[in-house]
Amino acid sequence: MKMLRLWFLAGLVALLSACASGPKMMEVKSSIPPLKSNEGRIYFYRVASMVGAAIQPSISLNGTVVGESKPGGFFFVDRAPGSIEVVTATEVERKLTFTLAASETRYVRTTTSFGVVVGRVQAGLVDRAEAEKELEETSYTGVPLGK
Amino acid sequence: MIQTSYPENRRNTLGGTMTTLKFLRKIFPVVALLLAGCASEVTRQSTTLSPVAPSPARQYLVQQSVLVRFDSGYDRTIQAGTTFLEIGALKQGKVLKPTNAVFTIEGAHVHEAYPVVNENRIVGFYLPVEQAFAQLSNPVTLSIEEKGIQK
Repeated sequence: MKMLRLWFLAGLVALLSACASGPKMMEVKSSIPPLKSNEGRIYFYRVASMVGAAIQPSISLNGTVVGESKPGGFFFVDRAPGSIEVVTATEVERKLTFTLAASETRYVRTTTSFGVVVGRVQAGLVDRAEAEKELEETSYTGVPLGK
Repeated sequence: MIQTSYPENRRNTLGGTMTTLKFLRKIFPVVALLLAGCASEVTRQSTTLSPVAPSPARQYLVQQSVLVRFDSGYDRTIQAGTTFLEIGALKQGKVLKPTNAVFTIEGAHVHEAYPVVNENRIVGFYLPVEQAFAQLSNPVTLSIEEKGIQK
C-alpha cells in the first residue's frame, strides 16, 4: 500500500512538472518588444492539459528548432516575411505551412492526439481572437525578456 | 424431440461472432483516430497566381456559414461574418484571402489555404506556400456580398 502511494505521488509530480511554469502572459505582456516593421511575429502556445502532458516535442521553424511544445506554455519568434514551415515530430512528422507578412502576427497552437505507440503533437493555425484569449492562461517559456 | 434453439456449437459460433462485432464496434473510434493520423497528403497541382493588378482589391463578406468537406476526410466551416480580400486569380477562379480568420486544409500535413471561388461556388483552395491548387470534388455554394474596395 505504501509503495502504491509512492508511485501515485511520483506520477503526480511527473505530471505537474510536465506543465509549463513561468510568468503568465499578463505579467510579461509589457516586456514583449514591439514588432519591427520588416518582420512578422509567430506565437507558439499549447493550452494546459494533463492529456499527453509528458509529450513535449521540439518545434522547428523552417528547419531550425525554436522551442518546445509545453502544456500551458507560450513563446514567440520574429521572422522575415515569407513562407513558414512548422514541424512537430513525435512518432510521425507533421507539418504546418503558412505565410507571414511584414508587421503581421500569426498564432500557432500545438495540440495532442492519439498515436499508435505514443501520443502525437500537431500544430495548427489559430485566429487572433481565439489565440489571444487562450494565451492569457499560458505561461511564458521563451528566452528571458528584457525589462 | 423438437429443437427449439440452435445447437450448442452453432450458438457458440454465433456468440463468438457477436462478441467480435461488439468488440470491433467498441474499438472503431480508436482505430478511426489512429487512421486519421495516417491521412494521405492533400492532392494538389502546381499553379501560378495572377495577382490583382493593380490593387486595391475587392472585399467580400460571408453571409452564411458553409461546411466544406475535403477528400482527405476532414471538414472545415467558413463562418458567416468572415471577410475576404480578392488577392488574385487562377484559371479555376478568383482567390479570396481571409482577413479576419485563418483557414487551413488538412491531410498528412496542415496547409494554410485560400478559397478559390467561381460563380459563387468554392471550387477548390489555393495553397500560398506550396503555390498549388487543391480541387474540391464537391464544390459548395458560398454566399458572399461584395463590400467594396480596400482603401
